[in-house]
Amino acid sequence: MSERRGEMMMKSLRVFSKAGHKALQAVMLVALVTAGASVARAQDKSTPLSKVERLNRAPVNKEILRVQLPRPTVVKLKNGLTLVLLENHKLPTISFALRIRPGQLADPRDLPGLASFTADMLREGTERRTSAQIAEEVDSLGASLEASSNFGTSYTTVSASGLVNDAPQILDLMSDVVLRPAFPAAELAQYKQRAEADLEQNLANPGFLAQQAFRRVLYGEPPLSISSPTKESIEKVTTDDLKSFHAQHYCPGNTLLGAAGDFKTEDMRALIEKYFGAWTGAAEPVTAMPPMATPAAAKITLVDRPASVQTYIIGGDRGIKRTDPDYYALVVMNQVLGGGPQSRLFLDLREEHGYTYGTYSGINADLYPGFWRAFAPVRTPVTDGSMTQFVYEFKRINDQSVPDAELDDARRAIVARFALSLEEPSEMLQDWLTTQYFGLPADYWDKYPDHVAAVDPAAVQAAAKKYVDLGHMQWICVGDRKQIQDLLAKYGSVSVVDAEGKPEN
Amino acid sequence: MKRERRLAAAAVVVFGALMAPGVVSRLAGAGVKLPNLDLRETKLDNGLRVILAPDHSAPVYAINVTYNVGSRNERPGRTGFAHLFEHMMFQGSENVGKGEHFILLLNNGGEMNGTTNEDRTNYFEELPKNQLDLGLFLESDRMRALAITQANLDNQRSTVQEERRTNLDNQPYGHAYLDIDNLSFDNFAYKHSTIGSMTDLNAASLQDVTDFFRIYYAPSNAVLTLVGDFDPDDALAKVKKYFGPVPAQPAPPKVDLAEEPHYGERSETIYDPLARLPQVILAYHIPPGNTPDNYAAQELSIILGEGESSRLYQHLVKDKQLAAEAETQADSRIGPSLFYVIATPRPGAKVEDLEKGVDEEIEAVAKNGVTAEELAKAKTQLLRRFIDQRRSCLNTANLIGRYAVYFGEPDLINTIVDREDAVTLDQINAAAKKYFVRDQRAVVVTLPAANEASGANGAGE
Repeated sequence: MSERRGEMMMKSLRVFSKAGHKALQAVMLVALVTAGASVARAQDKSTPLSKVERLNRAPVNKEILRVQLPRPTVVKLKNGLTLVLLENHKLPTISFALRIRPGQLADPRDLPGLASFTADMLREGTERRTSAQIAEEVDSLGASLEASSNFGTSYTTVSASGLVNDAPQILDLMSDVVLRPAFPAAELAQYKQRAEADLEQNLANPGFLAQQAFRRVLYGEPPLSISSPTKESIEKVTTDDLKSFHAQHYCPGNTLLGAAGDFKTEDMRALIEKYFGAWTGAAEPVTAMPPMATPAAAKITLVDRPASVQTYIIGGDRGIKRTDPDYYALVVMNQVLGGGPQSRLFLDLREEHGYTYGTYSGINADLYPGFWRAFAPVRTPVTDGSMTQFVYEFKRINDQSVPDAELDDARRAIVARFALSLEEPSEMLQDWLTTQYFGLPADYWDKYPDHVAAVDPAAVQAAAKKYVDLGHMQWICVGDRKQIQDLLAKYGSVSVVDAEGKPEN
Repeated sequence: MKRERRLAAAAVVVFGALMAPGVVSRLAGAGVKLPNLDLRETKLDNGLRVILAPDHSAPVYAINVTYNVGSRNERPGRTGFAHLFEHMMFQGSENVGKGEHFILLLNNGGEMNGTTNEDRTNYFEELPKNQLDLGLFLESDRMRALAITQANLDNQRSTVQEERRTNLDNQPYGHAYLDIDNLSFDNFAYKHSTIGSMTDLNAASLQDVTDFFRIYYAPSNAVLTLVGDFDPDDALAKVKKYFGPVPAQPAPPKVDLAEEPHYGERSETIYDPLARLPQVILAYHIPPGNTPDNYAAQELSIILGEGESSRLYQHLVKDKQLAAEAETQADSRIGPSLFYVIATPRPGAKVEDLEKGVDEEIEAVAKNGVTAEELAKAKTQLLRRFIDQRRSCLNTANLIGRYAVYFGEPDLINTIVDREDAVTLDQINAAAKKYFVRDQRAVVVTLPAANEASGANGAGE
């Protein structure tokens, strides 16, 4: 956090680590205690159970500090570009965020990663600037300028930030890379080497291997099934591919542009219009995704990673679209089960059993049905015990109504957390971009706490039965095949693949 | 540093005022301002230093408690203990059950964590402002009366060992990150890793936990910082109520961090079964944090290896196409610090060629220095980062706690940009010449090992 050194050398050790940021929609923290649940469980004999307990002696203010997220101004320019403008005057900074649909969902079948290549190459030269000039200008302003198209996300992101007085230069740079990228051939040749190295580094990472296998078994077919480009697509992509992807999909009518910071809304609108007003291109309809196949029967995919000292476990299944009416129930259920260090999975697998450094669950919900999944890296000898506890917790939330006090805690955690987001204008901006992007009502965040409060034990249980369904659970175990294949068999049928996803016998 | 109570004076500082002559600050010209934080410092009778910094921009507040103990205080045979102990601080105290700390903070809208490095251990949380008592209660209860049980120690020993596996043993290059410090230092304080060896973690006893708590978790060995939306008088009264009863303890023994000069490059090759690409890490010795030359090293790091306009990126990644990644990082420790270079060859490039390319870049800076434009750019980047770090109360509290415990100067929160700006071109160039010395560096090269091979996994631990 404050110490950058920790990022590179990994030496500032935290009591738990989680992408603990306050995105209101997906990763919310929450939930409760498993105390009292004394069901017979498989135990790792080397580690005695260490009981979680509540003494209830701390001075807690029972009142939730209700806050209202400041509303942005939403403006549509003549060319179809939608602006979301949020003033915040604490510090002399500004941040911009573009969401350009459809992102990776438009990847051609034979060129996985094209959206990502296009986004990555935006900064590598425009009609007006070389790659080196862009880098130099950005760093000289102390600014940032980034573009990416993440796999499984229905939009490309371009973001920029800096000191507010530099807003014109930052918009000049940002509009230049978005509107006029040149995709120079020499830069593409260099980029391919970096992309290949990235792919190699990803394939060495157990978390990536698990997520990659999970998307494959969940969706089966591209574009949703893929998590990275391939060596072949990196080799094959040409500047013409990038140019035509850009021409076809980078259109103002598909795009949201948010700005948050120390500005006056009217001035910012005029400034953005100056740089993005001349952008043209017809709006593109939302990419239709193939209909979802019936959920597959539960199974285990073992990704063989020799020399591993841990097994990286994922259990999850197909989920919902962001606009699904089940969203609130799923968010609350997730909080109870695995939303944070105070949730059931963490308190069970870590605080009681000592199997893992951290275990959580989370929701991915987009324009297409995303997923719900739980995960944990555990030392190899407790793979069995960890699977047992996952199954135990999944069954428990299916079969037993969540106690009122635990549910209260989960709902309060979600709602009370809004106060902290008031400090982070770029986070609030992302929340408002979410409402715009998914066509949610303008008072969405005002009503959100009431929707959360309305989730009752029956709704939580119904969400668990639908989305934490052991009959259709897709398990991924990344680890040393020799040590775990046999024991996994008792949890379901096991198929084995290598890092690239090729079946092993 | 203001030690007296002072009502908010709404002072505003203009950065760049102390720039060296000849280097015109673009920021001063642009009139960038950052609100000055009014720090009120008090010492309780038991020795606890308390720093209050009101900030009413959002209805939240943050607490940071930084203890002046880290892995540098560990003894041989007990590496990793300071961090293991940090985990024990979440296992309950007289009035807080095991796991209840997480439960109470996170279910009331808070955010929290605890971290350990070689120099210090910190604990922090941010909450909505109506939960001021909750945060103070939780921090004071564990400072006063930690609950220590064998079951909890065994449980957290397992957790910490999993942390080591998750972040190091089951990741490529994990051992290289430990070995580079191991090679760089002779003094045990910084030579060994904060995460510790599995053997030493296994050896930690309940008595060790009790002793460590008594010796190092003295109120006089900690700084409590509060930043956010509170009335300072009210907050101070609450601090006294909760922390006043914590018994005073004698000051812990000091650690000698001095490092004798090194002669001769130290190097090591690791055959890593989990790596798919090679990697090179270099480390050069630089002076402790908050010294003029350490600030110069921070700026050298930006110029050499942070950001896409940096020399290593433009020359090694782009022009020569030797590296897929090439970055630098300058430490800022209480004691002798390190300047790291980390580079990964692009697929197909030779490690030796990459090493040579890195050497040429470092030597060019040592020999010819950097330009005034590069220095100005580095200062702008540092300022921008610092402004971002000041955005949240939590980050601000964490920084103040760090400045207080590391350097005895919490007011660096208001003045650090001036220290960074004070570095002159002559000074940064002299520093490059002085510290980029091959004879005093360490090099760790990681090469992918075939999975069947039982490659050496590093000498460190």
